[in-house]
Amino acid sequence: MSRVAVELDFFPVQKVTSSDGAPPRKIFDRRRSFRDIQSVISKIDPEVLKNVFASGSIDRSLIGKSSVSVPSTPKAKGYQNALPPLPVYTPTFRPTSSSEGSNETTSPLTIFYNGTVSVFDVSPLAGENILKLANDGGFKAVQPADSKPGEIVETFNGDLPLFRRKSLQRFLQKRKERLTLLSSPYGGSTDSASFGQNTPAL
Amino acid sequence: MEERNASRANISMSDMIIDQVIPYITDPRDRASVSLVCRSWYDLDALTRKHVTIALCYTVTPARLWRRFKQLESLNLKGKPRASMFNLIPEDWGGYATPWVEEIATSFAGLKFLHFRRMIVTDSDLEVLAKSRGKDLLVLKLDKSLKSLVLEESTIIEKDGEWLHEIALNNTVLEALNFYMTDLSKIRVEDLELIARRCSSLVSVKISDFDILDLMGFFRAAGSLEEFGGGSFNVQPEKYSAVRFPPKLCRLGLTYMGKNEMPIVFPFAAVLRKLDLLYALLDTEDHCLLIQRCPNLEVLETRNVIGDRGLEVLARCCKTLRRLRIERGADEQGMEDEEGVVSQRGLIAVAQGCLELEYVAVYVSDITNASLECFGTHLKNLCDFRLVLLDREERITDLPLDNGVRALLRGCHRLRRFALYLRPGGLTDTGLGYVGQYSQNIRWMLLGYVGGSDAGLLEFSKGCPNLQKLEMRGCCFSEYALAVATSRLKSLRYLWVQGYRASENGHDLLAMVRPFWNIELIPSRRVVVADPLGEAVYHEHPAHILAYYSLAGRRKDFPDTVKPLDPVSFLTS
Repeated sequence: MSRVAVELDFFPVQKVTSSDGAPPRKIFDRRRSFRDIQSVISKIDPEVLKNVFASGSIDRSLIGKSSVSVPSTPKAKGYQNALPPLPVYTPTFRPTSSSEGSNETTSPLTIFYNGTVSVFDVSPLAGENILKLANDGGFKAVQPADSKPGEIVETFNGDLPLFRRKSLQRFLQKRKERLTLLSSPYGGSTDSASFGQNTPAL
Repeated sequence: MEERNASRANISMSDMIIDQVIPYITDPRDRASVSLVCRSWYDLDALTRKHVTIALCYTVTPARLWRRFKQLESLNLKGKPRASMFNLIPEDWGGYATPWVEEIATSFAGLKFLHFRRMIVTDSDLEVLAKSRGKDLLVLKLDKSLKSLVLEESTIIEKDGEWLHEIALNNTVLEALNFYMTDLSKIRVEDLELIARRCSSLVSVKISDFDILDLMGFFRAAGSLEEFGGGSFNVQPEKYSAVRFPPKLCRLGLTYMGKNEMPIVFPFAAVLRKLDLLYALLDTEDHCLLIQRCPNLEVLETRNVIGDRGLEVLARCCKTLRRLRIERGADEQGMEDEEGVVSQRGLIAVAQGCLELEYVAVYVSDITNASLECFGTHLKNLCDFRLVLLDREERITDLPLDNGVRALLRGCHRLRRFALYLRPGGLTDTGLGYVGQYSQNIRWMLLGYVGGSDAGLLEFSKGCPNLQKLEMRGCCFSEYALAVATSRLKSLRYLWVQGYRASENGHDLLAMVRPFWNIELIPSRRVVVADPLGEAVYHEHPAHILAYYSLAGRRKDFPDTVKPLDPVSFLTS
């Protein structure tokens, strides 16, 4: 299976207008984009990220310097070198021919980020998820046929749907079940039907 | 010498006086002030304190509670964040009752009232409470003296119904028993009847689903019963006409009661003071028919199927209404009455008609500033106001609600609890500043989708002098702004946030670190649930921050889904 290099560009030209209706900034704001990227990456489950990094062969000795701004608290003094955002990998491309007989069908994923370049071997699903994450901040979720558009939660972009109180949720679910049972040919019998699990044997 | 004698006499005089006065001081804040005056007053408060509410069970250890208040008679313990009532918190988050039950069983001899809220309670916990305290004692005084056991909304890990049987056998003083809306299914009706027969003071019983017909024996036996909730209607309506309710019953909530069963309530509807229709099967017209027969209603809880028309009937007929809660009904087409929406029309009617209202919680489909202003103008006794704007309608008549919210907060100066859950554009940064400015007495707040930027939060945090507990969801604030706001809110001791702009690895939260302040994170999770069709649905749950003052240090029972914030880990890789 031929490998397809997937590229993620974390520095798109700003298209979004700000909420107070100011005209879109034409000048690329690296700092803002950096925060957006950070916020996107920080939403990724750390375990997933670890696995993603581990699956590619990364030279961990080549760690880029962090240029993150640090809050001025004494405890944060040692921060500067503590948390590199991403490891650096050189070279920046991989040969597309070799397959190494692996059954995993992974492809290289190249990320250009803050002056560093990294390449990982990811499975198609992981790659798709990372792309989706970067594009619209959400994992691809299973959409059942009768769901409303907003019902499946995607990662936070101001999009938390209203959740219902557990007790009410349970009641509404049970009510549906009762209606289904009643409308079935076998429902509505003269003896007490066991709708509640607690109907004791008489 | 005389001087010394005189001052000694003065001390004992004031001791005598405070001894007489202190039983009348019950407000916990007053008690806290009393205990800070001097050592002897501290000791006196410790000896005479009857009730303690522990808003989060991890803020203090059971042993510490015992060291301070040995004569406790009533304990209210809360565990999981309130968001767990909405399925937002991992089931195994924590809040185990076991360490508390162990301490109660061995130490608190005088405990009569016990309320577990959002905790994890096992069968064996309940057995410990009900059975003898230890092999050295003959009989456990606790179970005989247990007057109130409330398990509503707690997660019960049920093995069998033996614990209730133990209570039935050993207790004669039970006044209240509540396992409403729990999944307890192994209880026997005979045990309920036994409790009703043996406990002549049994006043309030709220249970899980049992058919009302099976409870007829229980109702006959419970002569003192004033409050009943739960039950179920599973057979033809005509069969229920034989049911006789206890003579003093005035607080009622019947699960699955439909329009055909509703008439069994009519004979005593006029004496009803509390009506719970949250789990009934009534439409808007049914609500109108029932409510107009209840002129003495003080408390009404129902779903928004009551509609604006039902609220107008309520406003006309129920002049003594003090508490009104309107929950969100089903969203699917055809599951609820089409009339079943609440809007500014219903709110205005209720504000003008029910002037005694102290508590209003409502899910609305539409809203205006004018309706909130109406609340501010008329409802001077309002202590607790909660408004959620449903997200089904795209267009809302009148947003943002800055002016209405300001008018409500200024008019309802007794407000102590406040929740506002809107949508983007529902409240501007200016409006959020108003909330901070006009919330002198508010102690708890839930804010959802308010403000537009960090500036709003920072303005808000300049006010709210008495805010102790803050919950926020769906807001756009950054971690750093949250940290700064937390440090400004001088009374804050509990913070819950879901949905915020995170910094890389949470390092901006370092600005919040301080002694005795526990910071926990629930990182974003992917939760699989079965939808109504039984298919797997993936919900992405964004991260939560939970932070609270604690005298107990960091908790030791974290599940995998919850991570403490460890400042030291930011210094080492």
